[in-house]
Amino acid sequence: MEEAYLGIDVGSISTKGVIIGRDNDILAGEYIWTQGDPIGAVKELLRRLEGQFDKGRYQIVATGTTGSARKLVGAIVGATMVKNEITAHAVGTTTFHPDVRTILEIGGQDSKIILVENGVAVDYAMNTLCAAGTGAFLSSQAKRLGIEVEEIGAYALRSEHPTPIAARCTVFAESDLVHKIQMGHPREDIIAGVCNAVVANYLSNVGKGKKILSPVVFQGGVSKNEGVVAAFERTLGCKVIVDPNGHLMGALGVAILARKGSGRQKFDFAVENMEFRTREASCGGCSNNCEIICVYRGDKLIDSWGNRCERGAKVR
Amino acid sequence: MKDAMEQKKISFPRYAEYNCAFKYIVEQALGCKYVMPPALTKRTMELGAKYSPEFVCTPFKTTLGNMIESLEAGADTLLMTHGLCRLGYYGELQEQILKDLGYKFDFINLSEYDMSKKKEYIRIVRRINPRVNPAKFLAEFMEGVRMVEYLDELTGEYYKNRGFDASGGDYDQAYREFLTAMYTARCRADVEEGYRAARRAMQAVPIEKPLRPLRVGLVGEFYTVMDAFSNLELERKLSGMGVEVHRWMNVTHQFLQYSGGQKNMHVKIEDLCRYEMGPTSTANIWYARECAERGFDGIIHIKSAACTPEIDVMPVLQNISADYKIPVLYLTYDAQTSDVGLMTRLEAFYDMIDMRKKVL
Repeated sequence: MEEAYLGIDVGSISTKGVIIGRDNDILAGEYIWTQGDPIGAVKELLRRLEGQFDKGRYQIVATGTTGSARKLVGAIVGATMVKNEITAHAVGTTTFHPDVRTILEIGGQDSKIILVENGVAVDYAMNTLCAAGTGAFLSSQAKRLGIEVEEIGAYALRSEHPTPIAARCTVFAESDLVHKIQMGHPREDIIAGVCNAVVANYLSNVGKGKKILSPVVFQGGVSKNEGVVAAFERTLGCKVIVDPNGHLMGALGVAILARKGSGRQKFDFAVENMEFRTREASCGGCSNNCEIICVYRGDKLIDSWGNRCERGAKVR
Repeated sequence: MKDAMEQKKISFPRYAEYNCAFKYIVEQALGCKYVMPPALTKRTMELGAKYSPEFVCTPFKTTLGNMIESLEAGADTLLMTHGLCRLGYYGELQEQILKDLGYKFDFINLSEYDMSKKKEYIRIVRRINPRVNPAKFLAEFMEGVRMVEYLDELTGEYYKNRGFDASGGDYDQAYREFLTAMYTARCRADVEEGYRAARRAMQAVPIEKPLRPLRVGLVGEFYTVMDAFSNLELERKLSGMGVEVHRWMNVTHQFLQYSGGQKNMHVKIEDLCRYEMGPTSTANIWYARECAERGFDGIIHIKSAACTPEIDVMPVLQNISADYKIPVLYLTYDAQTSDVGLMTRLEAFYDMIDMRKKVL
């Protein structure tokens, strides 16, 4: 039996999973929508991954989880490595592109920039209070214009005169966009304008004050949008690399971290048929009233978190 | 009994751990009763946000919510500080909001006094308690000030070392006992002995530090950088990861020893910025560069949303970051009480400075 490693990245919009071998070779990879149900999405993901690789030849010995639901999913799958998505992305990208200097990442709810020197992340920034200029904005505008989010890129590339759209704030951008539609701007130009707005917003919010050096790698769900890629290349004046597995990079990164980590736990695909539920409990041990999340497998409590001190641990 | 009836019940909103000193000064120096406001919680924030203007800075909401909780606890006199930024207008607006809500109380707003004149301080003291004994007031007031100095000294030490506690919790325990001693101090001996006992207890705990531990400097807006509830326990989280957390900004350094310790700070940063930009900007820029020059592994800049003076500091920090190749993490806090997003950013920051240190 050869060793294999599973990486799962559960974001706000999409859930990604990969199984890699010892040389970081991808044995299986899948990308599905989270649809507000991280537990259900992970079960579906595992069902699809299971069918893609040779179970007779490989045995998954370590599992890593990342993304905003990393803790919850980590508890369910029995992860040996739970890591934040910024580190996971940095590790994944520097493994596959060792000479990278700048990593641009735009996901469903967040966006980040990671600066790399000698293969190590040296600085990063992530959007804080506001989700302007992320995938969520693109998909809501696609809906307004009556097209699929996957088609945005093709539309944008057909435009010759992108409509200028206010990029400072998503709410302002949206009202500006509605005005421009009602004035009669063609749909292609509006869509190209939206792509430019996403880039302008990203560079002035997340990229503010950061020196963007080539080679630049662009990833996250939005990197699949050729319109945004073209807008980045035009604005930055350099080539922007989009890895064919860029949408899986977080999952790849955390699978690599799980491989390098010391934890080993044979993974059993049986979890896809188990019942999991979560419950919120208020601790009440002191005036903090911490909200504690309890995760159950069937009727058995397998994990809980959210307590700020040991008084809340008793809920376990 | 009659005396107790006449005593004012004074409250000042929660502010980091300084309320023990406010309590001491109000009770021992001014001879009034101090109403300790409840610890800041989600409820405080909800109350404050409900009655505050939407775009005001977050400390306004926190302090307003806490004032309401103080009034509920029986306070009849509220005290509010003056300030050099929007803080200077907090008191007036908060008094108006609370009176509109129907609360009955006396409001002592330091912004209404000229705090550069000594005579004004006497006026304030006389207003709070006309029968105060000046000699006793001065002696006890100075003891309260000393309590602030002790608090800042041990808190600074605490966050530098607690991540390396080899005993598994004795250091935390010693610090907790120190806070209890300060909150319950009723005379000079209580303060002095509480401080000395805590220092001994903390020094007795075995600390195991690597040769070159990760060191991070905190800079930022005066309230949010210090108040654990407002910054979602940033210092506790960061030190818990095994990082030396350094913070210059505190009441002692900013007000009590400012003239003695770091006089003419603006001269040292003349090449970075020429004008005073706000109450804490000069100190923050100076300290950020100090951290960079001392070879720290990172700087974290903390502010509440829409804090204009601190927004002005950010471009200067970006220059320091580029000149000294030191990463700066910028954190903006608003009324949110979930720390999931903060943990993601902090863990990533830790991973980054840790990996960086191993390679560079």
